[in-house]
Amino acid sequence: MAGAFKGCQKIRGPQIRNLLDAKDFILLDCDGVIWHGEKAITGAAKVVNSLIRHGKNVVFVTNNCTRPRENYVHKFCRLGFTDVILEQIFSSSYCSALYLRDVVKIRGQVFVMGCDGLRRELDEAGIPCVEEADDPDATIYDCALAPDVKAVLVGHDDKMTFLKLAKASCYLRDPDCLFLATDNDPWHPLSSGRILPGSGSLIAALEVSSGRKATVIGKPSRFMFECISSQFSGVDPAQCLMIGDRLETDMLFGSNCGLDTMLTLTGVSQIEKAQEYRNSELTTNHSLVPDYVVDTIADFLPAFEELGEPSN
Amino acid sequence: ESGGSTRASVKGDLLDSVDSAVPGAPQVINLLKENGKKVFFVTNNSTKTRKMYVDKLSVLGFNAKEDEVFGTAYCSAMYLKTVCKLEGKVYLIGSNAMREEMEAVGLQQTGVGPDHVLGKQTDWANVPLDPEVKAVVVGFDEHFSYMKLNRAMQYLTQPGCLFVGTNRDTRLPLEGGKAVPGTGCLLQAVETAAQRQAQTVGKPNHFMFDCVASQFGVDPDRCLMVGDRLDTDIMLGSNCGLKTLLTLTGVSTVADAEAHQKSGCAERQGMVPDYYVESIAELLPALQG
Repeated sequence: MAGAFKGCQKIRGPQIRNLLDAKDFILLDCDGVIWHGEKAITGAAKVVNSLIRHGKNVVFVTNNCTRPRENYVHKFCRLGFTDVILEQIFSSSYCSALYLRDVVKIRGQVFVMGCDGLRRELDEAGIPCVEEADDPDATIYDCALAPDVKAVLVGHDDKMTFLKLAKASCYLRDPDCLFLATDNDPWHPLSSGRILPGSGSLIAALEVSSGRKATVIGKPSRFMFECISSQFSGVDPAQCLMIGDRLETDMLFGSNCGLDTMLTLTGVSQIEKAQEYRNSELTTNHSLVPDYVVDTIADFLPAFEELGEPSN
Repeated sequence: ESGGSTRASVKGDLLDSVDSAVPGAPQVINLLKENGKKVFFVTNNSTKTRKMYVDKLSVLGFNAKEDEVFGTAYCSAMYLKTVCKLEGKVYLIGSNAMREEMEAVGLQQTGVGPDHVLGKQTDWANVPLDPEVKAVVVGFDEHFSYMKLNRAMQYLTQPGCLFVGTNRDTRLPLEGGKAVPGTGCLLQAVETAAQRQAQTVGKPNHFMFDCVASQFGVDPDRCLMVGDRLDTDIMLGSNCGLKTLLTLTGVSTVADAEAHQKSGCAERQGMVPDYYVESIAELLPALQG
């Protein structure tokens, strides 16, 4: 979308239909877009199923690194998104495993600060991870450090301790050891409206102790789009629409990959913030401004009703 | 010179490792005092009370009194009491020493010690908050955990909750080649999750000097700040209008100082010391003569 900078265009039925006609690939964030926790957003399942039945390639792009993709498939099914299969799901944990296996081609171990979901994705990709020693009395002064650690990978880690931060800091002293982050989100919202500390807060601690910057795999970095493109044997950004709820991750991700972006207002970011970024004197902030805005993904429904359900 | 006071920084300046004094340092300090100088020990370390510091200094041969020692455990408590005039409890990520110094000024805390994660995500987000907590304070804490980070963040989302950090040191002195994350790391984690900046009490913030000055009637023009770190010790001296002396037995080098001096950046000039010596022991001949 070159030319005069507008952005934040609220669109409805016929405009959505026109937009969809021009796009083959719909990329959807999950939390705050199609569900809140264990509750699907009203109309979301119908929209997703309709998109798929209308022949769109629908993929889910999430920074949530706490569960493996198999668990996501079950969740989609549970919440009524019955047509979603494994290959449509791109989580930051899955993509971190791909990054280590296919880009870095890692030789040596990975020190992981993250949940079981992240470890499972790494295991499935054949990435060797340092085993967690369970000595409750160990301190950084007397604990053993694993040999041959070639990467530190940090994600959402509810079992984070000072000792783990210290171990990670030690491994990061080797400049040949990579510093990777599944995502950089400072906090995550829960369905109740409460929040929890995110990966970004742990990354911040390690960036201070190591003096190094992490390479972020998840949104807004481009890598997850490269994973998608690679799986679909090439994807034209002009054919894509990225739909998300968080300006600093989803919209910036879309912008970084040259995709059209749509903000839905059922999640983290408010329209006022988008307008603030649009009016900002800092041109870098303009990349966080969505091209389009909808109140909820359910606003897509009238667009399908006019078309009618296609015959299968 | 007769009269006046000297302020000395503890880590790296007087102590060349955790457990031994820089050779000659105890004699220098003791001679300064004998010559009528007031000597104060100013450290960003938050893991000891003033009493613990005096005990340690004494073992190493320094003639020190409790009211001459200013660590961030003591100064954070003083800051909350005298500047913030805090009424209410503190959620404390920090050591027992911090807890002791707070209780000594009548401040109650909650949170010190291990705090492991239990239950599920919804439990953590709904963790019960003590309604009397009106401030979150972050110091060095070997029990730092996700749960503590979470609790601190939950408190900080409440309107009117104060946010104080002891210091921003990034790393503790290396122990056998290992890197130990400093308070600065823990503080950054909480600041990122809470999307708020803490007020720090330690060097180079001027509060620690204010603490000394208010208790001892010190004239900045007659003060010398001695330290080994440009970004904390020397910066503090500059911020408070003191003369500064860098000793090279610790973190910063002459090259570091020259880089700041040549940078042309006004803010960095505050990190250029007025004087430097290889070690504090170089002051001995002047004191003995």
